Amino acid sequence: MIRVDGLVKEFGGFRAVDDVSLEVPPGEIHGFLGPNGAGKTTTIRMIAGLLQPTRGRVEIAGHDLQREPEAAKRSLGFIPDRPFLYEKLTAAEYLRFHGGLFGFDGEPARERARELFELFELTRWKDELVESFSHGMKQRLVMCAAFLHRPRAVVVDEPMVGLDPRGARLIKDIFRIQSGKGVAILMSTHTLEVAQEMCDRISIILRGRIIARGTVDDLRRLADSEDAGLTPVFLKLTGGSAYQEIDL
Amino acid sequence: MTSAFPFLLLPTVWAARNRARRRERGDALRVGIFGGVGFAVSVAIFAIVFWLTWQLLDYEELGDYLVRLGLSWLFLTFLSFVAFSAVVTSLSTFFLSEDLRLLLAAPVPAARLFHSRFARTLGQSGWMVVAFLLPVLLAVGLARCAPLGYYATALATVVPFVMIPTAAGSVVTLVLVNVFPARRARDILMLMGLLFAVAIVVLLRFLRPERLLSVQSLPDVTAFFATLQSPVTPLLPSFWAGESLFAALRGGADPLHLGALWTTALAFVVLARAAYGRLYLAGWSKAQEARKARFTRLLFLEGAVRRLPLPLASRALLVKDAKVFLRDTTQWSQLLLLVALALVYVYNFRVLDLDRLPYMSGVIKNAYAFVNLAMAAFVTSAVAVRFVFPAVSAEGASFWIVRTSPVGLRSFLWSKFWTGYVPILVLSVGLTVVSTRLLGVSPFLQALNAVAIVFMTLALVGLAAGMGAEHPRFDAENVTQVAGSYGGVAFMVIAVLYILVTVFGLLVWPASTWLWHEHHGIPLSPRRQLLMGLCFAAAAALSVAVSWLSMRRGVRALERLG
Repeated sequence: MIRVDGLVKEFGGFRAVDDVSLEVPPGEIHGFLGPNGAGKTTTIRMIAGLLQPTRGRVEIAGHDLQREPEAAKRSLGFIPDRPFLYEKLTAAEYLRFHGGLFGFDGEPARERARELFELFELTRWKDELVESFSHGMKQRLVMCAAFLHRPRAVVVDEPMVGLDPRGARLIKDIFRIQSGKGVAILMSTHTLEVAQEMCDRISIILRGRIIARGTVDDLRRLADSEDAGLTPVFLKLTGGSAYQEIDL
Repeated sequence: MTSAFPFLLLPTVWAARNRARRRERGDALRVGIFGGVGFAVSVAIFAIVFWLTWQLLDYEELGDYLVRLGLSWLFLTFLSFVAFSAVVTSLSTFFLSEDLRLLLAAPVPAARLFHSRFARTLGQSGWMVVAFLLPVLLAVGLARCAPLGYYATALATVVPFVMIPTAAGSVVTLVLVNVFPARRARDILMLMGLLFAVAIVVLLRFLRPERLLSVQSLPDVTAFFATLQSPVTPLLPSFWAGESLFAALRGGADPLHLGALWTTALAFVVLARAAYGRLYLAGWSKAQEARKARFTRLLFLEGAVRRLPLPLASRALLVKDAKVFLRDTTQWSQLLLLVALALVYVYNFRVLDLDRLPYMSGVIKNAYAFVNLAMAAFVTSAVAVRFVFPAVSAEGASFWIVRTSPVGLRSFLWSKFWTGYVPILVLSVGLTVVSTRLLGVSPFLQALNAVAIVFMTLALVGLAAGMGAEHPRFDAENVTQVAGSYGGVAFMVIAVLYILVTVFGLLVWPASTWLWHEHHGIPLSPRRQLLMGLCFAAAAALSVAVSWLSMRRGVRALERLG
């Protein structure tokens, strides 16, 4: 459903992403982990069509992103780490506009928006300006927009940042339901517990290259680690000490 | 509906509607001030152009010739203005706008996105020209009793006329962004534009156009008009626009030039769309790259500031402000323009030949000294609104650093005050002293002007810093936006009122009384001396009060931010 093949991105002389290949089949939640500056967001932005790769190929639901960008993007829901929202629109107007971008309007779009507002607990605020929303509410609105057109694949960058435990639980449930319906989800996160709890498979990227891939058990074996948690495995694979990951 | 390109402009329309529905405090006043200023400027332009065109009616063929030439040159000026404006605007609309991250991730066809961005560029770079042309063309039409067809032709001319340079500007930007990252390209363009403006201003001034007004230079006038008819102009859209309008003004039609305008406009849009299809994605990707920092090692600056007798926190703020200023090309490059304008301002006094009027020169010089003081104060307020008023807003999203640090908001705002006051004082005192000396007024007036400008700068900088804190725009994308905001305009209105009251209400009478008595050798009565002293003291007190009260209100406003 999401297929990335030999992706390379160079900024001047710096190679931010170096020959990354991955595949997320329908119904899989695939974790995309790596330390800061490893190339996660650059890779994700190339998959979403926001950056042109220097080399390589991205395919969404069988559509080549370079050759059929509209068909590929129509099948994709994208939740960026720093989403753009029109602050002076109401939540309902924002969804209406977002639906229009994906060619989804009229009564079916309104009905779907109602459903999603209900699901993401935003019904009470749907006619309020986005500028008055808290960070968590904005995050939930972006999720509404991403799922509005019933995408077949979802790419999400840091989904849990700024969400309260109830919001985080809600997102996890929704991702599980969506993957159950056959949606392929590629999720970048720093919250290793979330990755461990939710992901079927995980890819770890370091200095632009994929250094490990597999289930949590596969990664544990690869790191030769006995720990139950993913954190020691991650640190061992990425060569960092715990102190590099914790701000003191 | 959702597949047409205007759909992509809907958020702007909805946002404007929502803003109008949910009026905030001060909105009506803001609309009143902006609308009033805009209307007054339009009426003034209309009146001047109407009067000029009316006067030219008396000169039959020469009048016609001048109207035709005037229209052609007016459009030529706007052609270059819109082209440059479109290059800068399309950098934002095509590459730097935040909403592009949303639109580019959506399945929006390239042509549709191009058309919506082009429409936005057209609106943003062309509105000012259209707003200016409206009273001009209306005045020309009414003064010449033009038929209705003229107004229809005006509309049919202005639209393609603005489209051509906008499309050309967009293509230039598309090429530029593929060579430089977008943010660097913007810096380069801003710098080039400013250098160009400086060169034009200096060149025009040093040509001394006032020589054309003297009878001896009549041959120069004919030569001057001859140079205006450059062989290049008939190939430019400005010439076509001028010719189409001139034909319509005389009740005829010029389908050739109007057709040339429309076909060229459509061809340019097609060309721009093709360039977009070929260059856009690569340019957009390049625009995501970070730019290299300049002035990263400013050790001398820190060393110099360390020697200043300031508290540590104020020194830290000063170093930070200076570094941010130097690293932002759009900020310091405007200083170049300012220096050029100051040079031209001073040069004007050098070439001012008031001695041609032997009986009046003394009176005119002294009267001009006050106009000069008011002008210098006005320049000071213009500099203050550009550099001091946005000082608090420029903290932007980083303002939390100041608010959570052990620096009082009073110290913070006063630090902003002093950072602005010292350099602006050097400029304003320099301008005033040099210009009054070149004007050759009495030493008393020279001294009075110098002291007055020190106090007036104090008031204007305090007013700017205080009002900037009262009307902060932490979300503004750049400082120019802050200076042009409601608070900035309100500052300019209050500043002008203050200048008028101080100069013409409190300084003119005592100074001219003193000069009159000195000229006639009559001693001043003690009562007059007291009244004069009171006027000077009132001017000084007003300046100190304006500064201090504004700063106090500013500090309180910052404290109220919560």
